[in-house]
Amino acid sequence: MDLKVNGQARTLPEHASDPAMPLLWALRDGLNLTGTKFGCGVAACGACTVHVDGLAVRSCVTPLASVQGKSITTIEALGQPDQPHAAQLAWLAEQVPQCGYCQSGMLMAAGALLAKNRNPSDADIDAAITNLCRCGTYPRVRAAIKRAANTMSLKK
Amino acid sequence: MKRRTLLLSGLGAAGALLVGFGMLPPRGRLGSANTLALVAGEVGLNGWIKIAADGAVLLAMNRSEMGQGVHTALAQLVAEELGVALARVRLIAAGHESMYGNVAMFLGQLPLDPRSNEPGLETTLARLGTWTVSKLARELGINATGGSSSVADAWGPLRWAAATARQQLLGAASLRWKLPLAELELKDGMVSHPSGPRAHFGELAQEAALTPPGEVLLKPAAEWTLIGRPAPRQDLAAKINGTARFGIDMRPLGLLFAAVRHAPMLGGAPGALPVNATLQQPGVLRVVQLQPFAGGHAAVAVVARTSWHALRAAQAIEIEWQQRPAGKLDSAAIEAALAESARTAAVEGFTFFSQGDADQALAGAAKTVEALYEAPYLAHAAMEPINCTARVAGGAVEVWAPTQVPGLARALAAQVAGVAPEAVTVHVTYLGGGFGRRLDIDFIGQAVRVAMDTDGAPVQLLWSREEDTTHDFYRPAGAAFMRAGLDASGKPLSWTVGSAGDAISPRWMERVLPALAGPIDAPDKTASEGLFDQPYAVPHQRIAHRATRSGVPVGFWRSVGHSHNAFFTESFIDELAQAAGADPLAYRLSLLDDLPRHAAVLKLAADKAGWGQALPQGKARGLALHESFGSIVAQVMEVSLEGGKPRVHRVVCAIDCGVVVNPGIVAQQMEGAVIFGLTAALFGRIDIKAGVVQQRNFPDYQLLGLAQSPAIETHIVPSTNPPSGVGEPGTPPAAPALANALFALTGTRQRKLPLV
Repeated sequence: MDLKVNGQARTLPEHASDPAMPLLWALRDGLNLTGTKFGCGVAACGACTVHVDGLAVRSCVTPLASVQGKSITTIEALGQPDQPHAAQLAWLAEQVPQCGYCQSGMLMAAGALLAKNRNPSDADIDAAITNLCRCGTYPRVRAAIKRAANTMSLKK
Repeated sequence: MKRRTLLLSGLGAAGALLVGFGMLPPRGRLGSANTLALVAGEVGLNGWIKIAADGAVLLAMNRSEMGQGVHTALAQLVAEELGVALARVRLIAAGHESMYGNVAMFLGQLPLDPRSNEPGLETTLARLGTWTVSKLARELGINATGGSSSVADAWGPLRWAAATARQQLLGAASLRWKLPLAELELKDGMVSHPSGPRAHFGELAQEAALTPPGEVLLKPAAEWTLIGRPAPRQDLAAKINGTARFGIDMRPLGLLFAAVRHAPMLGGAPGALPVNATLQQPGVLRVVQLQPFAGGHAAVAVVARTSWHALRAAQAIEIEWQQRPAGKLDSAAIEAALAESARTAAVEGFTFFSQGDADQALAGAAKTVEALYEAPYLAHAAMEPINCTARVAGGAVEVWAPTQVPGLARALAAQVAGVAPEAVTVHVTYLGGGFGRRLDIDFIGQAVRVAMDTDGAPVQLLWSREEDTTHDFYRPAGAAFMRAGLDASGKPLSWTVGSAGDAISPRWMERVLPALAGPIDAPDKTASEGLFDQPYAVPHQRIAHRATRSGVPVGFWRSVGHSHNAFFTESFIDELAQAAGADPLAYRLSLLDDLPRHAAVLKLAADKAGWGQALPQGKARGLALHESFGSIVAQVMEVSLEGGKPRVHRVVCAIDCGVVVNPGIVAQQMEGAVIFGLTAALFGRIDIKAGVVQQRNFPDYQLLGLAQSPAIETHIVPSTNPPSGVGEPGTPPAAPALANALFALTGTRQRKLPLV
């Protein structure tokens, strides 16, 4: 089975090609893209958030069959090493992560929000970022999304 | 037996042991240069520090990074003394030598109250206890990240190691250039002399290793350029792009994946296992029956080609589970029994603190106040589900584990695999949260056992979120019956507390260090911490605890006993203020005359929060003050009700944690600890029915979300005292500050957690 991941066509190994397999496990155990995390398995925590055709999707409940031919982006390609995403830079500036485990999902959710809303209000952020974080990074996540929005609108 | 009697008899026994230790050579914590393995071009200067050929400083890191920023804070100590940029300190894994053990964590187990242990004013008994426990902990050399102790523990040894290395590097330059050491300058990893000679650390390291350090002096605080600065966390670059490697991200070549299924009921076990049916599931390679390891549970592990296949097959196993032999656990019955026990515990329990005659003073009081407080079981719910990767091949064991206790993990792995500890390598990964759950090692035993059955292939063992939530070592439920007698002016004359709950430390010792587990539960300090050491001046006190054994597996949970005892103490003092007709802030301050640090922290939080200033209709403030892990934290919360539910808008937090190494990390930890505490106060409860934990995943074990999170600000009291805890002390005041604010708002006092 083939997947379009981070701009590349990737062939999944035989053992990770079941159409019913959630995208999360194909990424992690099939392609060794371990930045996307397993947290709950029931789309409750958002640690597994990736982009499918630009939309934030919880990959732990997204069967492989449903993403055939679609463009998948994971945390590994949210930005490039020489050109990080504005949210990644804002995350550093605000010193957001603690343990960091949920942060891939947080960043992917933030990236999807910022792609469609360059000036998110507090209410917009509340609605879009439903990811869970046990370390309690939420106030900094909010600040970093606003910072990223500011830098993105300056660049426009 | 009274606390003092126990402490003295314990010291006597320890003293007898010390005679023996006196015969051994002294064990400093500098360590010898040959402790660290060297890669080409590296030079070891002591047990902590190597110098790379390019002049980089390599630091043996003995603490687990689980979000608390310890990798950055400890590197800051070394960079400061060596005069290098923080980024020039690279981390290497520390080994298992006893010098890397944690002394400060064990000191935190001493049952000392604030008036006997204020920095610089310690009583003789406190000093003797501290000295003795330090000596014992050094000999034990147990490497653990916990008890908010990492910076306190490293503060002496790491700075000393770096300062010693610095003097050796300077000495080597002085000898090479035949120039007086006092004229040399050390900056940014370069040693130089105004007359021209310059060399970086890598160029001097060989000679430095042979140069005695001479007189070593730590940098005076006035010259610090890194300590006290909000240096950026060194682990964050990898945590924003998916490259940070947690336990679950280990990918050794040929990796197989295993999932675990425990009996649904705590203490239960699998019956006859349908091996063949399981092996027919897609992707499944093996089924392994697991005995309980390190106090964990019996289980079945399914090995497969991916975690998904393993999780799915483990979930599908149809099996007769056997109930716990001692009977079905029921949390409602246990909690009711705790409440009963608490009512008589002040008389029948173990007395942790007493002074004066609390009963007589109560009888003569103008007014009495009494209340029963209760708290439920709680799960850790770290975001990274329980996992461990292991390989057993050719008589050697390799373990990749998100663990807070690598040495204990190694000992267990060796025991399970039947090899010597020296044949086991433990790689500590990043931890996707610890909060105390990863002080237990049950899952490490499981991974090693499964890896013994996979013909040398490495195995990553994973628990589903449901297994994690239903087979935790829970924060024990607790109850406290509080009673106070006030004089005519409203001041407390008498304060008695009887509390009841399961002992944690003895259960943990039985699981992970059975050789050192003792026979008595009563004096477990964690049960009464936050009760026996309450700070308010009351002439007559008796504070006792009744240790119970419910059978529920209990463990350390961020801030341990303080997590509920602060709610009991700080709610009750609010009740006394109300009974006295006094302002909650003024009442507390009137009882803190001889604890100026506590008073200063409380005042700072109150000032910054605008305590006493009017709030809009429908909002109210509450406050709480609590000392834990050597640090004093006060919080003021502003709340309202939205749809009948509490909504926290703003939290002002003040902390005195001694010298601050990194104020940015302190603020991060206060924010996280407040949200951790609010999650517990608003939603947290684990219910056990017929032995089965009812909450299974985040939909029913709710965490506070971004939309519900308040604005949190942190203010730090400047201090010159040695550093104390940061990771946990922000959690205890959250629940009582919220409960006190809700009382101010509604006039209803809630005495049972969670509050809604």
